[in-house]
Amino acid sequence: MIRTGLWILAGLVLGGIIHIVVILLLPALSATAAWDRIEALGPAQGMRVLAPVTAGEPNPLRLDPELAYAVCRVDLRNGPGSVTGTLPQSFWSVAVYARNGTVVYSTTNRDSTSNLLDLGLFNPAQTRLLAEQKLDVAEGLLIVEAKEDDLMVVVRLAPPHPAMRARYERALAGLSCGNLSV
Amino acid sequence: MIVIALGTGFGLSWYALNDGRLVGAVEIGPWQAWRDVGVPGPDPYTRAYIARSGALELGASEGLQFIATFDSDNRRLDRNCRYRIDGTTPPARFWTLVPVSADTGAPITRPDGPADFHSARLSRAADGSVELYVSKTLAPQNWLEIAGDGPFNLVLTLYDTSSLSGSGANVTTLPSIIRESCA
Repeated sequence: MIRTGLWILAGLVLGGIIHIVVILLLPALSATAAWDRIEALGPAQGMRVLAPVTAGEPNPLRLDPELAYAVCRVDLRNGPGSVTGTLPQSFWSVAVYARNGTVVYSTTNRDSTSNLLDLGLFNPAQTRLLAEQKLDVAEGLLIVEAKEDDLMVVVRLAPPHPAMRARYERALAGLSCGNLSV
Repeated sequence: MIVIALGTGFGLSWYALNDGRLVGAVEIGPWQAWRDVGVPGPDPYTRAYIARSGALELGASEGLQFIATFDSDNRRLDRNCRYRIDGTTPPARFWTLVPVSADTGAPITRPDGPADFHSARLSRAADGSVELYVSKTLAPQNWLEIAGDGPFNLVLTLYDTSSLSGSGANVTTLPSIIRESCA
């Protein structure tokens, strides 16, 4: 009796260990991360406007059919990243993702006074150079510090009406994204 | 022992990431959201959830997404039924409500019609409240026609909202999902 109880207890403890290992390893082993799906779309060159979500079409990234999305991958090993451009007068937001899909930084245009997006991405070493004023950046640049070098920037833009989608997608495509030359 | 170990280990993991109420998801009525899905450095459960879902999650300052898989009476959402979504939403710049397939995330609306409800394009009562209908059959007020068979999910996304973030913020006003009739 006690022996059976001990076996069950040992099973539960081992189960707990398996559970913790699964939860901790999942991010590293998962093959369905958003990063891989974006990477599969093509090489990392500038802004890429994602195809709109329509009824009946698979939507693995779980995008909102109401919004227009643009994605850009930046490698900070080639220098600080930058996303700049002008967006229409409507709701827009920017999120910076790490490779594992977590959000490093996000903001909306709620507090901004203009429709200008000017975002700079820096890794810790580049931030130090910035603090020592060894990097020359434009005034008004929104500075985001990231721990990792592989980043993905997603700009969400909400057209007021579906009929205006094409124009808003052109505005997204007009954003420039890449590395700052320093 | 091995059976118990495997059962507990994987069962608990599956439960934590699908239900999540004990580990990081918040539940308001029939709606569920992962609270820390958009913050830098989320807890291990939220991190595992992000990896498993593979979705582009909203950043914490961009908004918050709620998903409903059951109606307010705890029955699985079924495309053969007519649902009334009734009530008020927390303050947000705007919100969208999309009925999606549980497996693929694809909107399940009629292909040549609108795919979702947008908070700015609804007919509202004099007090600002809304009544939304999701069904295959014709419905009054704001109606979204869906197609197909089987279960579905409702995705409610609040953009530019302070719900759940900051001190003292709480969401108590999410609409209820009421099953009216089934075919």
